[in-house]
Amino acid sequence: MNKKMKNIIGCISFMAGLLIIFAVLSVIFVPKDNSRAAGMEAVQANGILGEKENTIDYIILGDSETHSAFTPMQIWKDYGYTGYVCGTNAQHLYESEKFLRQALKHQSPKYVILETNAIYRYSSIENAIMAKAETYFPLFRYHDRWKTLKFRDFGGSVQYTYTNYSKGYRFEDRIDGVKNREYMKPTEKVKNITKINRHYVNNIINLCKENNIELILLSTPSISNWTYAKHNGIQKLADQNVLTYIDLNLQQDQLGIDWETDTRDKGDHLNYSGAVKVTGWLGAYFQQRGDLTDHRQDAEYQSWDKDLKRYEKKVSGK
Amino acid sequence: MTSYVSILYLLIFLPAVLLVYNVLPKKYRPVILLLASYAFFWSISRKLLVFLLVSTVSIHHIGLWLTAVQNERNDVLAQTERSGKKAVKARYIRKQRWIVFFAACVHVGTLLVLKYSGFFGRNINALLTTAGVGLSVPILKLAMPIGISFYTMQAMSYVFDVYRETTKADKNLGRLALYMAFFPTIMEGPICRYSDDAEQLWEGRRSTLENLTFGAERILYGVFKKIIIADRLNIMIKILYSGYADYDGGMMAVAAIAYTCQLYMEFSGTMDVVIGSAELFGVVLPENFRHPFFSKSISEFWTRWHITLGTWFRDYVFYPLSMSKPLKKLTSKARKKIGNHFGPLIAGTMALFVVWLFNGLWHGAGWHYIFFGMYHLVLIVAANFVEPFTREFLEKIHIRREEGPYRIFRMIRTALLVCIGELFFRAEGLRAGLCMFKKMVTQFTLRSFTDGTIFSLGMDKLDFIVAALAVIFVFAVSVVSERGTDVRKVLSTKRRIIRWAVCYGLILCCIIFGAYGMNYTPVDPIYAGF
Repeated sequence: MNKKMKNIIGCISFMAGLLIIFAVLSVIFVPKDNSRAAGMEAVQANGILGEKENTIDYIILGDSETHSAFTPMQIWKDYGYTGYVCGTNAQHLYESEKFLRQALKHQSPKYVILETNAIYRYSSIENAIMAKAETYFPLFRYHDRWKTLKFRDFGGSVQYTYTNYSKGYRFEDRIDGVKNREYMKPTEKVKNITKINRHYVNNIINLCKENNIELILLSTPSISNWTYAKHNGIQKLADQNVLTYIDLNLQQDQLGIDWETDTRDKGDHLNYSGAVKVTGWLGAYFQQRGDLTDHRQDAEYQSWDKDLKRYEKKVSGK
Repeated sequence: MTSYVSILYLLIFLPAVLLVYNVLPKKYRPVILLLASYAFFWSISRKLLVFLLVSTVSIHHIGLWLTAVQNERNDVLAQTERSGKKAVKARYIRKQRWIVFFAACVHVGTLLVLKYSGFFGRNINALLTTAGVGLSVPILKLAMPIGISFYTMQAMSYVFDVYRETTKADKNLGRLALYMAFFPTIMEGPICRYSDDAEQLWEGRRSTLENLTFGAERILYGVFKKIIIADRLNIMIKILYSGYADYDGGMMAVAAIAYTCQLYMEFSGTMDVVIGSAELFGVVLPENFRHPFFSKSISEFWTRWHITLGTWFRDYVFYPLSMSKPLKKLTSKARKKIGNHFGPLIAGTMALFVVWLFNGLWHGAGWHYIFFGMYHLVLIVAANFVEPFTREFLEKIHIRREEGPYRIFRMIRTALLVCIGELFFRAEGLRAGLCMFKKMVTQFTLRSFTDGTIFSLGMDKLDFIVAALAVIFVFAVSVVSERGTDVRKVLSTKRRIIRWAVCYGLILCCIIFGAYGMNYTPVDPIYAGF
């Protein structure tokens, strides 16, 4: 073997050895449960991993607009449909895709709702690459767990046990209102979606298709985030991909959103009062579609009633 | 690409350029480097690339213009009698000086307008308000191309060198363009001279296995310094400098030491990545650091820290000023009156004042940067003035300066003085710097170390342990290098299993203990902001 060949084999062996080490360390560093104590990130959104298999009817993806505007427990109480908000603060679409992929390993929902604010969030190529690397080697995501590694991490298997009683919704009843105004002024302008975000939307669309899930694009009311140009951009995306698109910013009168009382931060996010209105609309929408089952009498779903009690206690402040 | 220590640069851009560079025939390699450099610049500063292009074309033309004048002078000299040669030389020097002045107006003028117009405008307005004049200067908000402070200095060094005839003007615009734009150096230096790297870059040598191994190791060491130490300290430093009013003097001392450590690890780490990147292409760049914390005086410190900036000011500001006619006259007069030691110090101090004023301002448009420059000027000048007394005193008490505990004392003293300077450098304004310093001196207490405050600043005990161990590692490597051992060369003589184990160890340390990912905010490169 000549020297050049030897060098090439040496380089390949070095890289292969490195990948093997990454793989082994990933097994050690990955949280063994989906609880905060076990080192899991975004535990509320990741609470879906602890839900019983195939018990979730709909999943909501997106940024903080989602966990502020949708409260699945209200829909459970009123209609008996089960859902989960996998929304996190400033969620990027590659994270939305990751949440969906993870969830679909154990769940088979009928609907996936993608809140559209995330579609306009800037995603750098760098973060997207990192997100991909983290998928293959969770070591990159959970490297900081070196501080809390336990003996179990070196040999134990992954078992998700944590569930979130509000199913990803983050209760917030603070009022920091803003004057009602007409912010959705019709325009022909179309706000472009970046190539990188379009790529991830396509991934989510394909993932839903492969799993026979209906993907709905939904814009929650947000006086400081949403514009008609963004609406036009999403409408164009929906038309191109034959998707349902609902813009609740254009239905505020039907929803009865009052920006003086229904927001916690001057029109960026809804508060509990606003969430009740938006969730009320979503529950009615599912009922109108008529393809979800009311599980309230199903013994398999008893835990949801227990969670409802905790949820109601929380929102009533008692 | 926001930094040299980013995934996009290290794992995508650099390997891709390296691959294409080595696959293509020799004559195309410099072209690839130039295109990659412009792509790199474009990715950060977009249309502001035009500034770099204009600078490049400008110095190319100015270089040729100077050469044309020099050739003309030589022709005229050849036809002039001996008695008239002096006058001819003087005439042509004047002509060349006008060209250099024009170049300075274009290049330094652009830098002044883009970087300092806001600072000068605000200060002029403050003066006008104080004087009760009802006028104000409009403050312009101008976008700055990345690396303008660095490539402007490279451009001017080229013009000066051609003027001094130490470098020949380059007719090849491409070679000059690559010298100005080479992507590893464009953002944070080192500030290269034309003679340092222009020829090497244009040669297009194929990368050897040694280039690749040594370059990759150097990059890895730089990443280690930056993401394990510098970026980890960043959270605490941000809290202490923005909320200094809430902490005691002990914490101000921590702020000074931690920031000095961060700045060194950040900048020298980035330089490792930069020099390592160039090494991958077989290009040797000048070093910017030489273990500065082994310095025994502030003067020595500045020959070891940001070396290329120091030598630039030395060659193009200090020497021309101190060798100028008025200062030479002053020196000879002063020698007669106050002796051979103190005589030259007066002119030297005047030249140093300009150097340190420029040095402070180069780092940024702010009074605290000027104060930082003046602080170092005072330390250097004071050391020069007391030098004979110190020497005499130490001889009397039989202490040898260069050996034993006194040498260590000098190193620690220098390091502490540097830390105080960096406190002002990092402070959010001169007033904040003075407040922090005052607190450090008048309210010094160790209470924050015992009541847990130290661990409430974004770093827990384990973070401190990791940072400390990493600093010890860097210190150990520095000690070995300072003694003249090339660590990478020694490593290359070891068995493969040892070499691989060291590399795997460093990579894993970076990945596991690095301050990146979901619990950390990405840290912008500090020197790219200058």
